[in-house]
Amino acid sequence: MHRTDGNTAEIEFLYRQHGPALLLFAQAVTGERCRAQDAVHQVFLKLIEKGSLNRVVDKKAYLFACVRNAALNEGKLRDRNAPLDPDSAWFSAPDRDYAGEQNLRRALGALPNDQRQVMVLHIWGELTFSQISDLLDVSSNTVASRYRYALAKLRDSMFAKENSCANS
Amino acid sequence: MPTLDDERFEAYLKQFRPLAPEPLPTVGTSHRAWRTFVLGAWATAAVAILVIGALTLHIRTNRARVTETIGNVGNLEHLKDDQPLTIRRANALMARAPSFKAMVDEMAFRSQNIPLPKGKRSAVAVLGKEKIKL
Repeated sequence: MHRTDGNTAEIEFLYRQHGPALLLFAQAVTGERCRAQDAVHQVFLKLIEKGSLNRVVDKKAYLFACVRNAALNEGKLRDRNAPLDPDSAWFSAPDRDYAGEQNLRRALGALPNDQRQVMVLHIWGELTFSQISDLLDVSSNTVASRYRYALAKLRDSMFAKENSCANS
Repeated sequence: MPTLDDERFEAYLKQFRPLAPEPLPTVGTSHRAWRTFVLGAWATAAVAILVIGALTLHIRTNRARVTETIGNVGNLEHLKDDQPLTIRRANALMARAPSFKAMVDEMAFRSQNIPLPKGKRSAVAVLGKEKIKL
C-alpha cells in the first residue's frame, strides 16, 4: 500500500492525540524514558512509512499494542527487568505539585509490571478492560483483578508516603 | 491527606497528565520534502522541454515561411522586372542577392525601360539631366 498525505496527516494526528499516554505506557514497560521514546517513535515512523492504518478498527488499542510489542522487542536486546528510571518526570504536575508527581511515579514504579501496565492503560490510556484484555492477551477478569490490586497498592503507597512526609 | 474512594482517587490520578513525547524525527518530513522536490524538478524539466520544443518548431516554421515568401517575391521580381522599384522589391532583391554590392549594382544598372504612367516623370531621369556645379 502506498503512503499518502492523508494517511500521514491522520498518523500525525494520532501521535498528538495519544502520544503522551503511549509514551507513559512505554515507560511503564521499559522503565526508561529514552527507550520508551524510541519505541513510540519506531511505531509511528513505521506507520508513516507504510501508511497502513486504514484497515484497523480500533486504532487506539492497536497503537498501544504496537508500542508494547516495540518496547518488548527492544527490551529483549537488553535487560527486561531494568529498574525504572527514578529521575525523569513522567507527568506534568497539576498546580505545580512536583512532590505529588514524584510520589505517583515512585508508587507506580513499585507496582508489579503487569499491574502497572493495566493501571496506565486504563487510567491514562483510557482503554476499557475489554480492550486491555485483548491487548495483553489475558481475560477481562484478570485485567479487572490486576487493576483493583494496582489501585489499592497505589493509593496505599501514595498516602503512606504523604503521611510519612507530613509526620516528618 | 484523607483516604479517597476509588472514583475520586482515579479522578485525582487523572489530574496528572502524561508528558508529551518528543516530536517525531524529521525523517518522514524530509523524505516527503525530497519527494516533492524531485517531482517539482521533473515537472519543471518537462515544462522546459515542451517550451523549448514549441519555440524551436515556431522558429523553424517562421523561417520556412520567410524563405518561401522571399522565394515567391524573387520569382515575382523576375516575372515583373519592368515594374518600378519599391521598398518591397528592394528588400526582395537584397534577400536573394549574393552580396550587398551586387544588390546595389543590380538596382543601379537595371534597364530603364520601365513605362511610367502618363504625366509622371522619373526623378532619377530629371536629376540625371540637371547640371550641378560643385
